[in-house]
Amino acid sequence: MDLAIRTTVIFFFIYLLMRIVGRRELSSLEPFDLILLVVLGDSVQQAVTQDDYSVTGAFIVVSTIALLQVFLSYLNFRVPRLRTLIDGEPIVIIQDGKVIEGNARRERLTLEDIAEAARLQQIGSLEDVQWAVLETSGELTFLEKQKN
Amino acid sequence: MADIPDTIVLRRHRDLEGRRKDVWIRRGLLTLVALIPVLALFNVFGQRPGKPAVATSAARLQLYAPTRARGGLLYEARFRITARQELKKAILVLDPGWGEGQQINTIEPSPTGEASRDGQLEFTLGHIPQGQTYLLFMQFQVNPTNLAWRRPANVELFDGNTHLLTLKHHLTIYP
Repeated sequence: MDLAIRTTVIFFFIYLLMRIVGRRELSSLEPFDLILLVVLGDSVQQAVTQDDYSVTGAFIVVSTIALLQVFLSYLNFRVPRLRTLIDGEPIVIIQDGKVIEGNARRERLTLEDIAEAARLQQIGSLEDVQWAVLETSGELTFLEKQKN
Repeated sequence: MADIPDTIVLRRHRDLEGRRKDVWIRRGLLTLVALIPVLALFNVFGQRPGKPAVATSAARLQLYAPTRARGGLLYEARFRITARQELKKAILVLDPGWGEGQQINTIEPSPTGEASRDGQLEFTLGHIPQGQTYLLFMQFQVNPTNLAWRRPANVELFDGNTHLLTLKHHLTIYP
């Protein structure tokens, strides 16, 4: 009982945190982010299971997380109005080769960040980009201009 | 204009119509998150010890212990008894709140006797000559499932059957 409650509280706290820290932070996974991820996992584990080393305890925690995850994805699927709240919405960052400054600033994206993401998709110049969209996952997707 | 990607609505996803306030909601929530470590720095969640004291003409009792702790934490409570007059049989009586949901790992020096006084924890410390100090250390660990909001944890000092003083204390345990 106690484990399930603690797991639920921590789950929603992390969910909220991930929603508010901004997508840019989520998409990049540099060495430092990887270490932070491990530290975060360790800190959370202590709070959730504390001194419970039992297999039953692990079953309770893992099942609760799985159920909450399915519950959120079900809500996301069934209730369109909640979709923007649960997953967020994409943002157009580049249109017709031009960076939309306000949108990029809002997501704390610099020109260098965008150019780097473009290079990762084999695009050398942002001028070749018709659309760049910051997806809800934090990934930048690029659609190139059609070449005649 | 080139084809707009499917499901992208320019008014919403490029011009951010109806989404202007989102960023402020996000900043507000982030402020709330930032508030957590700030409150922690101000000891809202424990476990910085306080030093409350109470004195009478017979004795002075000072407690060094936190009033706020969290599940699983180890902490120390130190009871400093200064005899202003000879205490033939000093007895420290703790509210049950001290034992509720907490491990009492160590009591040093070991009391000469332990008993229950109407549900309270009674520790017989023995003789304390006038002007001398008796320092009792107790080490606790909070049970992870323990939760408490200002649970009474008063401390009383007796000399035999004579009540000398009461030190008001309480414990708040966060999950």
